[in-house]
Amino acid sequence: MDEWKFEPARDLGLSPQERLRSLRRENGLLEASASAAWWGLIGAYLALVHRLNVRGREHLPRRAPFILVANHSSHLDVLALAAAVPWRLRERLFPIAAGDTFFEKVPVAMFAAFALNALPLWRKKCSPADMDALRRRLMEEPCAYVLFPEGTRSRTGQMARFRRGIGVLVAGTVVPVVPCRLEGAFEAFPPHRRFPVPGRITLSVGEPLSFHSERNDPEGWARIAARLEETVRGMAAP
Amino acid sequence: MIRDRLFGWRHAFDHPVTVGITIGILGILVLALAVIALLSATRRVKEPLRSELWKRTLSWAVLVPCILGPVLLGAAWTIAAVALLGLACYREYARATGLFREKTVSLMVVLGILCVFFAAMDHWYGFFVALFPLAVGLIAAGSILLDQPRGYLQRVGLGVLGFMLFGSALGHLAYMANDGNYRPIVLLVLAGVQMNDVFAFISGKTLGRRKLLPNTSPGKTLAGHLGGIALTTPLVAWVGHLVFRETALDRPLLLVLLGLIVSVTGQLGDLMLSSIKRDLGIKDMGATIPGHGGVLDRFNSVLLAAPAVFHFVGYFVGFGLDQPARIITGP
Repeated sequence: MDEWKFEPARDLGLSPQERLRSLRRENGLLEASASAAWWGLIGAYLALVHRLNVRGREHLPRRAPFILVANHSSHLDVLALAAAVPWRLRERLFPIAAGDTFFEKVPVAMFAAFALNALPLWRKKCSPADMDALRRRLMEEPCAYVLFPEGTRSRTGQMARFRRGIGVLVAGTVVPVVPCRLEGAFEAFPPHRRFPVPGRITLSVGEPLSFHSERNDPEGWARIAARLEETVRGMAAP
Repeated sequence: MIRDRLFGWRHAFDHPVTVGITIGILGILVLALAVIALLSATRRVKEPLRSELWKRTLSWAVLVPCILGPVLLGAAWTIAAVALLGLACYREYARATGLFREKTVSLMVVLGILCVFFAAMDHWYGFFVALFPLAVGLIAAGSILLDQPRGYLQRVGLGVLGFMLFGSALGHLAYMANDGNYRPIVLLVLAGVQMNDVFAFISGKTLGRRKLLPNTSPGKTLAGHLGGIALTTPLVAWVGHLVFRETALDRPLLLVLLGLIVSVTGQLGDLMLSSIKRDLGIKDMGATIPGHGGVLDRFNSVLLAAPAVFHFVGYFVGFGLDQPARIITGP
């Protein structure tokens, strides 16, 4: 007979406010229901208003861990990517969101944490310990991330350089990284607009890449970022 | 009559014992605040003890209205408040044991807990009693469909214990609100177990030398345990005499027995949570109440006391026998 194994929540003992912003946050029934309601609404919205079209769905991994990376030009991006992931994986899918935008004010942070299921990454004060926590969680839980390596939404619709942070998360691991390309999201909801307008969005999912033989050092990280950037650029609609 | 019991806040202070306990609790709270203010002003206590004392007492200042308010407002509020307490306790328990990752089992436990409090609100004793086997069946069966026999016993075992403690057991506190004269009884249980904690703490601090159960809870002493019993029993017996005047329970031996039940089950509930925390290797169940830890760290002592008191009083007096039953589902 196996011994019982107790694994208390990783975020046990944090105050409610600390917990919102913690990279160790784990969701229970309450958060899962809030999140399910939100993604149900968003799925319907994307299908009706933006006629979301997903190409290459077969490339999505069937189990965690994995990371979805894509070009970033709109708040609709993360919604479209998460909506493409099957329901049973959605609970383990954490969009990585800018801490300074989504986790400063408590009401916004509650929305980000409980509806989007997002984890914060502080753009100006991100420590190696934070990156390490994200990297370990990916394998331990295991879970999946949505990440935009450009670091911010493109103000022109043109894709910017990928930063090497994505490399820090996956260098030397078997975690597959799925390159994705979004078209139409910028036109529907560019950063300078307050509200989205109807417009077709297409999401292309590429073949997963693995970086298990890449070195876990700054050079390796840069090579990973460059390789992914090149792949996503190459996926541009013909 | 039903409306009066459920929402009749105008009747809040009909019974002298309700008035007495309310004044007593508020008095102790004000006294505690005054003593700490005095100790801080005269610098008799140093940091970090001072801020710890402040945090604890201010938390009490928030908790007391949250506990007293619903009981005074009416039976519906009382039952709803205990239901929320049960769900909050289950949440902490599930997060501490890791059961929260098993969403199916957790959902079944939550459904079971909600049904218990619905039965209490409905004043439907048959359903209230039937729910123990029914909910256990639901928890055991719900997780079969996952087709993952590995860890089945652990998740069902944890689920059943969770339902028993925060649904079935705590539900008895809510069910007491079906009595026409529920306020003094519910307050007697709540104040009784909390005073018991205080008495045990004080006598343990002043007299305690021999450890009670050092492996379970190194802070507790035999003297604290006995001091709690020695002080709580007469207090509960005396208040019980005022509450159950001219009933079958109003006999010295039975009232002392009631006091013993409140004191002993209260302390056992405390030790039960200590055992759970020891086994899990954690110090507090959460950080919801500053200075106290989680909700469960504060309300552990009511978990075992509620059903014991309910059935003891129920045997001699009964609960809400003159009140209409099945007020929601009934014809």
